[in-house]
Amino acid sequence: MSNQQVVQVIIFGIAAALIIFGGIRVVTAQNIVRAALYLVLTLAATAGLFVLLLAEFIAAVQILIYVGAVVVILLFGIMLTRAPIGLTPDLDNESARIWGLVAGLVFLGVVTFVLWRHFASVPALELSAPDSGANEALGRSLLVDWVAPFEAVSMVLLSALIGALAMARKD
Amino acid sequence: MGTAVFDLHALAPELILTGVAILILVYDLFIGDERKWTLPIVAAGGILAAGIPLVTLGLSDTTRSLFGGAYVVDGFALVLKGIFLGASFVVLLMSAQYVEEGDYHRGEFYFLLLSAVLGMLVISSARDMISLFVAIELVSSPTYLLAGWRKRDLKSNEAALKYFLLGVVSIAISLYGMSILFGVTGGALKFTEIASWMSAVPSGSAMGVAAMSIVLILVGFAFKIAAVPFHLWAPDTYEGAPLPVTAFLSVASKTAGFVGLFTLVYLAFPAQSQVWRPVIFGLAIATMTVGNLIAIKQTNLVRMLAYSSIAQAGYVLVPFAATTREGSLTAETFASSVTYLLIYTVMNLGAFAVIIAVARRTRSVEITSWSGLSKYAPGLAVLMTFFLLSLAGIPPTAGMWAKIFVFRSVISAGGLANGALAAVMGINSVIAAFYYLAVVKKMFFDPAPEEDLEAIPVPASLAGAIGIMAGITFVLFVIPDVAVRLGYGASLV
Repeated sequence: MSNQQVVQVIIFGIAAALIIFGGIRVVTAQNIVRAALYLVLTLAATAGLFVLLLAEFIAAVQILIYVGAVVVILLFGIMLTRAPIGLTPDLDNESARIWGLVAGLVFLGVVTFVLWRHFASVPALELSAPDSGANEALGRSLLVDWVAPFEAVSMVLLSALIGALAMARKD
Repeated sequence: MGTAVFDLHALAPELILTGVAILILVYDLFIGDERKWTLPIVAAGGILAAGIPLVTLGLSDTTRSLFGGAYVVDGFALVLKGIFLGASFVVLLMSAQYVEEGDYHRGEFYFLLLSAVLGMLVISSARDMISLFVAIELVSSPTYLLAGWRKRDLKSNEAALKYFLLGVVSIAISLYGMSILFGVTGGALKFTEIASWMSAVPSGSAMGVAAMSIVLILVGFAFKIAAVPFHLWAPDTYEGAPLPVTAFLSVASKTAGFVGLFTLVYLAFPAQSQVWRPVIFGLAIATMTVGNLIAIKQTNLVRMLAYSSIAQAGYVLVPFAATTREGSLTAETFASSVTYLLIYTVMNLGAFAVIIAVARRTRSVEITSWSGLSKYAPGLAVLMTFFLLSLAGIPPTAGMWAKIFVFRSVISAGGLANGALAAVMGINSVIAAFYYLAVVKKMFFDPAPEEDLEAIPVPASLAGAIGIMAGITFVLFVIPDVAVRLGYGASLV
């Protein structure tokens, strides 16, 4: 391994550890506001992975949209719906937690086993070095090659927005 | 540039439907309550208008490939889009009165319904992982909301929440599988690229990872079609959702899941049938058997039909699991699945339309409240019997042919495994006949309740829906050739 690769592996390790830690805390945090703040950690560390993959633009978008907008909307949502903030013991189900843990561990075990055994033989993807045209290529890819799913996503978001409004509206 | 960048003719159905969906949203803002009854008419007009380019595309009879093969309009796409538009049109007929009487947010209801239909049109043409994923999301997210449309009803809240949480988890598992496959194949997204990678490379180890990702990807679609053991959401969601939405979920949304399976299995993974065929074999047997066995015990008609629709999905899966002698997929097995889906769509929509009509009076979908229906609503009782017979596969209904085609395609493939599949399907058809006929007995031979025995008034739109579905069920019994030809026309092999 060259020095550059060692640095990359170290940074990847830090980012991955932060993502996993944040992800675990999101689901184990007792307070929903704290869970949202741990989500910030996970999403920001994901942006770090994009930087490692030479996709600075996507990393910036990840920070702006997910950390900046989505989590803030989440917090607004918690605040405005007057949902109980804090512990909700009557919604906890101990036996379901055990089965969930079993299912999760089995899934983790199978996936880890398969990837551990076989992934070494999978050829690595070649990353092209970033150049000044990277964003242009991204834009072309989104709005020419992938315009159909891109526009379909806008309909997904619009319908989610309209539906959520109709659901939340008092009448 | 002289020529258009996109083939607008090929995209016309999607564009028209998008336009009408947004038009409804805006139109709804500017009309008063007394004009809201026009909303379903606009929506129905939009669906019919989207059908026009479908017909002209069918007549032009060429396969159109857009975006470098990521979006294809071929026989399969056209037939399935036709089924989706037809089914949604009938669901609109069923909703018009229901939504108006329930005083729901009408504009938003029709907007979300059309958005889901748009997703179904996109999924029929999607030929790469990204489009497939986005399309299945476009089908799902409006239906999560529609399932909870009866806001003040706890059951409806439960329906939406269960459907949403389980749906999101299962599609996330699919997405994880897709991401692994993307890495293993070296960045292949289009089904054609994945298929050629799979038939070329399979050097042991990379294939191990790919095999796992295939199974993970199938999970999300098994959820959508409510195959056992991914069916647990279906009964509660069907029971709690508004009835027209239940009909929509059990027919159109389920078919969308099958479209995903068809394109994945027949276009992306055909070379790796030894990976997915055992999975689908197990799913098919479990789905048929568990669905039917639990359906027997149901006392609620909608829950019974929910389990019955789980079992019906099992019958559609049977041809996928059939092993042909060449080991490859044949047009016959493909066509029998599509034919079954088409006929199932018609008869199940018919049954739900009758339920909506009767529930307007009984205010209950408990099977006991249907006793003696033939005394005061003989027409509805006869039609319900007709649809139930069709679901059971008993003549004179199209349901009989649907079952026969599936049987024939499995048996003609030969072999022990196929024989076992056919046997399990036969036993299940007998079990199913038992609970369908129990409802018929209730309607005709049990005493009617004492109080009011006036005839049930059926609104015109609902009567139209029942009539169209009954007509098609009968016509397809007399000339099943039409359904078969559509099935073969849709074939991807």
